[in-house]
Amino acid sequence: MKYAALILGIIVLASCTKVIDVDLNEANPVTVIEANYTAEDSTVRVVVTETSNFFSNEDEPTIDDAIVTITDQSGNSQQVPFVANGEYVLNNYIPQFGTTYTMTVLANGVTYNASCKLNDLIPQNGIIYEYIEPGAFSGDGGYLVAVSYQDPAAEGDFTSAYLTKNDTLYKELDDITLNNDEFTNGNLVLRPVFVDLFDVGDTIEIELRTIDKKIYDYYNELISLIDPNSAAPANPTYQWENRALGYFSAYPSSRQTTVIQ
Amino acid sequence: MKYLSTFVLFLIFSTAYSQTYTVSGTMKDSTNGEDLFGGSVIVKELSNVGARANSYGFYSLTLEKGSYTLMYRSAGFETKEIKVDLTENMTLNVELSLPKDVQEMEDVVVTGVKENENITSSGMNVTKFDPKDIETIPVIFGEKDIMKTLQLTPGIKTAGEGNSGFFVRGGGADQNLVLLDEAVVYNASHLLGFFSVFNSDAVKDVSLYKSGIPAEYGGRASSVMDVKMKDGNNKKFGLSGGIGLISSRLAVEGPIVKDKGSFIVSGRRSYLDVFLGLSRDENIRNTKLYFYDLNAKANYKLSDKDRIFISGYFGRDNFSFGDQFGFDWGNATGTVRYNRIISDKLFSNTSVIFSNFNYRFTIGSDDEAFGVNSSIQDWNVKQDFSLFANQNNSLKFGFNAMHHTFMPGALTGGNESFNEIVLDSRYGLEFGAYVQNEQKIGPRINLMYGLRYSGFDLVGGTKFDYDDNGDLISQDSTIGRWESVQYHQGLEPRFSMSYVISESNSIKAGYNRNFQYLHQLSNSTTSSPTDVWVPSSNNIKPQIGDQVALGYYQNLKKNKYRISTEIYYKWLQNQIDYRNGANLILNDQVEGELVYGKGRTYGLELLLEKKKGKFKGWISYTLSRSLRQFDDINDGKEFSARQDRIHDVSVVLMYDITKNLALAGTFIYYTGDAVTFPSGKYEIGGNVIPLYTERNGYRMPDYHRADLGLTWYLKDKKRFEHNLNFSIYNVYGRENAFTISFQENQDTGETEAVQTALFKIVPSITYNFKIK
Repeated sequence: MKYAALILGIIVLASCTKVIDVDLNEANPVTVIEANYTAEDSTVRVVVTETSNFFSNEDEPTIDDAIVTITDQSGNSQQVPFVANGEYVLNNYIPQFGTTYTMTVLANGVTYNASCKLNDLIPQNGIIYEYIEPGAFSGDGGYLVAVSYQDPAAEGDFTSAYLTKNDTLYKELDDITLNNDEFTNGNLVLRPVFVDLFDVGDTIEIELRTIDKKIYDYYNELISLIDPNSAAPANPTYQWENRALGYFSAYPSSRQTTVIQ
Repeated sequence: MKYLSTFVLFLIFSTAYSQTYTVSGTMKDSTNGEDLFGGSVIVKELSNVGARANSYGFYSLTLEKGSYTLMYRSAGFETKEIKVDLTENMTLNVELSLPKDVQEMEDVVVTGVKENENITSSGMNVTKFDPKDIETIPVIFGEKDIMKTLQLTPGIKTAGEGNSGFFVRGGGADQNLVLLDEAVVYNASHLLGFFSVFNSDAVKDVSLYKSGIPAEYGGRASSVMDVKMKDGNNKKFGLSGGIGLISSRLAVEGPIVKDKGSFIVSGRRSYLDVFLGLSRDENIRNTKLYFYDLNAKANYKLSDKDRIFISGYFGRDNFSFGDQFGFDWGNATGTVRYNRIISDKLFSNTSVIFSNFNYRFTIGSDDEAFGVNSSIQDWNVKQDFSLFANQNNSLKFGFNAMHHTFMPGALTGGNESFNEIVLDSRYGLEFGAYVQNEQKIGPRINLMYGLRYSGFDLVGGTKFDYDDNGDLISQDSTIGRWESVQYHQGLEPRFSMSYVISESNSIKAGYNRNFQYLHQLSNSTTSSPTDVWVPSSNNIKPQIGDQVALGYYQNLKKNKYRISTEIYYKWLQNQIDYRNGANLILNDQVEGELVYGKGRTYGLELLLEKKKGKFKGWISYTLSRSLRQFDDINDGKEFSARQDRIHDVSVVLMYDITKNLALAGTFIYYTGDAVTFPSGKYEIGGNVIPLYTERNGYRMPDYHRADLGLTWYLKDKKRFEHNLNFSIYNVYGRENAFTISFQENQDTGETEAVQTALFKIVPSITYNFKIK
């Protein structure tokens, strides 16, 4: 509840914060697999790591000896070769839209499986922006950017939008603009991207991914997980059989760029 | 019902053949004509023979022919003795007055005890407060609040810092039935819980039942909080009020026709936003944040036997940011009651009750503005009888039917890319019928036993079916407005007894089963007006609470000190929680987001109380657990509920320094709430994600705090009295953790645990006055 937090913030003009010691348990390491198949550049990228202690400052431990395979809907498998630091990359893997891919990772003797449908691309109509006057929510004011696309007639389209300003990606979890078509099915969607307000001269690029419902739900859970007001946070629903953390997403992207004038 | 009527007839006629007569009437406060709820009449010549007045002050006592001395008494009043020659049925309307010494001292708090009522009554575990008793106890912002004072007694725990929400014996915050003049109050707090909706100027009396809940109450699994509004002075006009830092209040009361009818109207408004208006920052200046509420009640005696009451409550919170964003919410209730004394033994009350809670968001102001609103509304018809069958049995029976309308939400307006969306309203019919008898067996045993039948029919709307993963299988929107989707029902036995060992000690035991058909969904740690109420359905089963409790009570030094020890065990069935990432707002398939489990709570409660003298107060200690188990949460392992506070201590001390100066202090300590913290971390897309291994496996730091209050009674004029109340909340500035969050230190890059504390030291001052 953002509004609740706002009200609290106003009532409690005198609230105070301090750093305290909290003694956290050390959980046994769990395998984490972040697997993406980006149709845009026909590339499969998989990163295999492990969880670490919460207060640890080291980089996440990587798993470099995993066997990673991608399988298409017809059952043809191809290995994704190891590159470095837990990363596995397969180039020139030609997408077949509308079909389902399965990713298999054998790490530390356990086989993890996840599958994902590669949906058809939803093209963007171009970036729209509008000047917002300075105010309570808008600070010093600036240009608010919106992604625009024609939602397909059938229900059940899920998208995620990522914004890059002057070659810098807004990569925080809550900078991802997730959209479903529950309220907008079949419409011309105009969805503001509330990551920031921009100035004249900024180059804005928006990447719109068409994602599987599973991935849409997964990101929603991840975002609710980092909300400090969540009453009972828990790990997101496991996407991998045998309970590895992370996900497998296969998606097409459409990109648009504009310079704010 | 056939058995019921036979039973009733049996009780009436079982005594009809001996030569008995009935004395009946009403008991009232002589100063203002308010009904003395909880008053009693005792026969001096006979041991353990007497009658208790019902909640409208009506009593009836049947005795054999003869001469008796009747002793009328009520907490805080002078006992009145009346000699009667009982040779025929008679009516005796009695007015009790305050003790002489108290009257002389004028505004001194009255905390008289009814001697050893706590020992002899069968009802256990009822915590009762008169707002007068607690007016010197310091509270945050100086706004006296009966709900916060209740939280200082054993088994009743606060929902959080400064919060008026509460948990009773490990149950959830939505498992408390909160009634204001019989109307259900769905959201009993203002400003997200910092104030309760009960204006203490308008409140006559509050009773909170923790166990052995009487059969007349139903609908919630854990407890009942029954708030009764004042009737208003029927002898003379009066004006009272208070001016505080955050809010002010004013109440007017007086006779409509002297001794026949009276009214009271009281209002309250907070003005935090007035201070915000003084800010230099335009954003803060444009912020509105206030609440107001209005209580009104009138009653009129149509004849000696008929009386009518009309009461209502209306309150609203308002929060807005210029014209860009608005959020308001509130309750409205209305009750019309008709009392009739049908015979000298039978009393009837008929009520029609309305209750509504809604909230509304608006975002934007021009043609792109859109809004979300949601409400729950009830109409309830209720019939209750009290039958004073004979010396040893007094019965209550009745029934009610309630119609609920749930409007889960509508989204309106907005630009073209939004489709307007109106979620289907859902409707429910809730029924209850009960019979209960309070019986005396000899001088030592008092019993209260009853049975309640309750039923809930979800009618109309759309029927949704889900699979085990919460995915929708089918939905049927062809159901007629009054066609049943699902019927749930249950029998709720209620029982309590006391065994009086001697004048000064007793043991009591109780059992109760309660069904709950409405459920509140909340996915945030702070109480929020957007918490949704959902009905039981083909997917959601009614919650069931079963509780057994046992208590030992001892009064020492002529009832000067009271000690009570209670233990309880409670089973909760069909408890509700949500799947990860559940969306509760504007979601017509919210039932698919729910998972079901069970709970158990148990504990030991100790209370030492001193109710007489210059120095008064109590020490309360609760040792308890509250656990839940869900197949879909925490890998099916049992976990602590958030309110699983193992130790909970409250100390309340009140001391009259002089006639005009009263000092009060409180101290609170409890085990930190159960909370979920990460036990590891990993990265997704360059973001650090916490790894969880266990639900509520950690503890917040222990909570403790002391408050001080000083009430200075200023010099009284003949018809005017006033006082100043100074209070300091959190005297020693303890920083109690409200939240703990884990974040990266900007300078070192290390992850740190950062605690936020809400209130360090909050001083306040309130001026109260009364024109008589």
